Amino acid sequence: MALNPMEPKWSLRLPADCSIAAIRNVYELIREAFGRQERLEIDCSSVDKADVTSIQLLLSTAKTGEAQGRPVVLTSFSQSLRNTLRRAGFASEALIDQHFPQKKDGI
Amino acid sequence: MSAMDPTEVFRQEASELFEVLEGALLDLGQRPDDRELVDSAFRALHTIKGSGAMFGFDKVASFTHEFETAFDRVRKGEIKPTQELISVALAAKDYIRTLIEDPQSTDDIIGEAILDDLKRFVSADKPVAPVAETPPLSPAESKQVGWHLYLEFDSHILRNGSNPLDLLEDLCKLGPCFVVPVTDGIPFLDEMEPEDCYLKWDVKLHAACDKDAIDDVFMFVQDEMKLTLSPLAHVEAPAPAPLFQLLDEEPAPIAEMVVPMVEAVAAPVAEQAVAKAEPKSEAKPEPKSEAKREERGIATVRVQAERLDELMDRVGELVIAQARLSQLAASGSDLSIKMIAEEIERLASSLRDTTMGARMVPIGSLFGRFRRLVHDLSRDLSKPVDFVTTGEDTELDKTMIECLADPLVHLIRNAIDHGIEDTVTRAANGKTEQGRIELAAVHSGAQVLVTVKDNGGGLNTARIRAKAEEQGLIAAGAVLSDHEIHQFLFHPGFSTAQTISALSGRGVGMDVVKRTIENMRGSIDLSTRSGQGTTVTLRLPLTLAIIEGLLIRVGEGRYIIPLPAVEECVELTAEDERSRGRNFLNVRGNLVPFLRLRELMAASGAPDRHQKTIIISTGETRVGLVADQIIGNHQTVIKSLSKLHSDVTIFSGATILGDGTAALILDVAQLVSLAQSKVEKQHINEAA
Repeated sequence: MALNPMEPKWSLRLPADCSIAAIRNVYELIREAFGRQERLEIDCSSVDKADVTSIQLLLSTAKTGEAQGRPVVLTSFSQSLRNTLRRAGFASEALIDQHFPQKKDGI
Repeated sequence: MSAMDPTEVFRQEASELFEVLEGALLDLGQRPDDRELVDSAFRALHTIKGSGAMFGFDKVASFTHEFETAFDRVRKGEIKPTQELISVALAAKDYIRTLIEDPQSTDDIIGEAILDDLKRFVSADKPVAPVAETPPLSPAESKQVGWHLYLEFDSHILRNGSNPLDLLEDLCKLGPCFVVPVTDGIPFLDEMEPEDCYLKWDVKLHAACDKDAIDDVFMFVQDEMKLTLSPLAHVEAPAPAPLFQLLDEEPAPIAEMVVPMVEAVAAPVAEQAVAKAEPKSEAKPEPKSEAKREERGIATVRVQAERLDELMDRVGELVIAQARLSQLAASGSDLSIKMIAEEIERLASSLRDTTMGARMVPIGSLFGRFRRLVHDLSRDLSKPVDFVTTGEDTELDKTMIECLADPLVHLIRNAIDHGIEDTVTRAANGKTEQGRIELAAVHSGAQVLVTVKDNGGGLNTARIRAKAEEQGLIAAGAVLSDHEIHQFLFHPGFSTAQTISALSGRGVGMDVVKRTIENMRGSIDLSTRSGQGTTVTLRLPLTLAIIEGLLIRVGEGRYIIPLPAVEECVELTAEDERSRGRNFLNVRGNLVPFLRLRELMAASGAPDRHQKTIIISTGETRVGLVADQIIGNHQTVIKSLSKLHSDVTIFSGATILGDGTAALILDVAQLVSLAQSKVEKQHINEAA
């Protein structure tokens, strides 16, 4: 995961492993980034290992951002993450839109 | 070596499952609110049903299915498992067992009657209010056009290595599935435990499969989830696109909708973050359940009992051959042969221990059977009994376990039938209404002590004595200790029961128990306290196959004394010699009776000048055995004596020595008993 404080918006690139084995580290870094910046972009392009915990963390991030009125932008879902989302039942765009309303922000 | 018959494999597996099922049902009688017990019983039933169908036991599968269906209301917590219901469920279990083991000996009508009873009990208490979960489905309903499922997993399930996504995938293999994730349980970041499971799923399965097929998918996690299942009345049109059909398609254009990756990503930090995560990622949690299953698969191997017996025989032959080699090497001067002989001796000894270890079985496998016995007897005799077992992990040779079953059945029956008083008597004596029987096993040196203890009325010594006098076993007025009087209980045909019941009173049994235990080179002991109960103690060797023995010589013959029974060896002093006729030895101030083995074995030739005495003991009793020479320790492979020698009681078997000659193994219990009876005769003569 990477943070770039020089940018007007903070961006995080999720690490390759976002499975349960590494999810606590990912969780801590997202929380840390959440506390620092108004605007947060989370780049999901490198995610190679994903499972239920990865999806839950992204859902929680989106939910928290929405509740706090902070834009959280989820970008570039990797193929692996997308497959995991589909396996969990997020099989249609409508469903993904419904659960990740801020993913289009910042395009 | 032939491959095992698959149906035999099923029978063995089913036998273990029956024990689990019976244990769970019996425990449910004590703890009706324990959900784990209900689930455990159901898992066992479910596996019996599934495997039964797989191996062609159709009647088993069909009856078990009905059993499961009828018992489903217990599973759903709609009705409590009452004692009556447990009894019928146990009868159903017995019926399934008969269907598997001896189907010819039963009839469909028995099964139908049991099911009727079961249905009557479970429907006697219909719930007034509708329950949250789906009502039980009749077999007719179990085939549907589809199913509506709601899946909610325990929060810790991901930490256990279970993966709900795999389960969803398995579910989708049953037919077209429409999976909708339910996200209302997802917490805010601050409240989140990232390893917990918050997602739930609402699934519509458009497949006319059995409810059991769905249960099978969740079989290994059913204790860690809530599954709500209801039949779909009709296939909703248009049926949604199945999830896994979609998966095979090109990915949906999510990428088009999301913003491109932000350019200014600090790669080094990213690498650091990944590196930080990597050590943990090796512990791949997703395939953990598979790994667990695999681990279980290789952790134990099912081996036919005969093969273990065969292996033990071979090891026995090897030990004998090794003894011959050692003797040959010792008589020669070739150092290298001696070294090889020593090495083979070490390896043979290690192989013996390993083989014997492989034959060791926890005695708990035997104890489990008696819970049912106590349950049934307690009900039949209307004597509430609390059955407590301890030391289930104590291990014994499998042959010993098999031999021990019948004697213990007899002892437990006796304890309930004769030992535990009826509730009125107990109340009158200020005792709790519920009697107590304790079955315990514990290691004691190279022996295992198995005790059956009751808190009943204790033995009626006066009645035993009167009966012994009546049967002419003792003269009226003869002076006998209580312990001696109690020994009459082991006399064939001896019973003090005033009425003959289906359980006891015919005087057949305790003598058989004693003989069985002694045939196992064990001993049996009774202790009792009037009004407080009786304890029967069985002392058993750890194994029947190979023992450590003390090799002695008496005249020209050589004999083995089981080493665990040997307390010490002392020289027979001139003073002891002078006590000829009295046959008592002074061991540090204690008088110990002794037997002259030369006289007992009618040994020819002159005795050795310095006679040795081996002090042996069983329980509290010590006896000296006088021999010409103590040769030393000997790994003794026990060979049974032929039927021709069945009346020779002082030998428990024979072994082959290194030079190929045979040595007889002394039966310690019999020798101690012989010495005691000699002492008693001496007392009587002196008194006369």
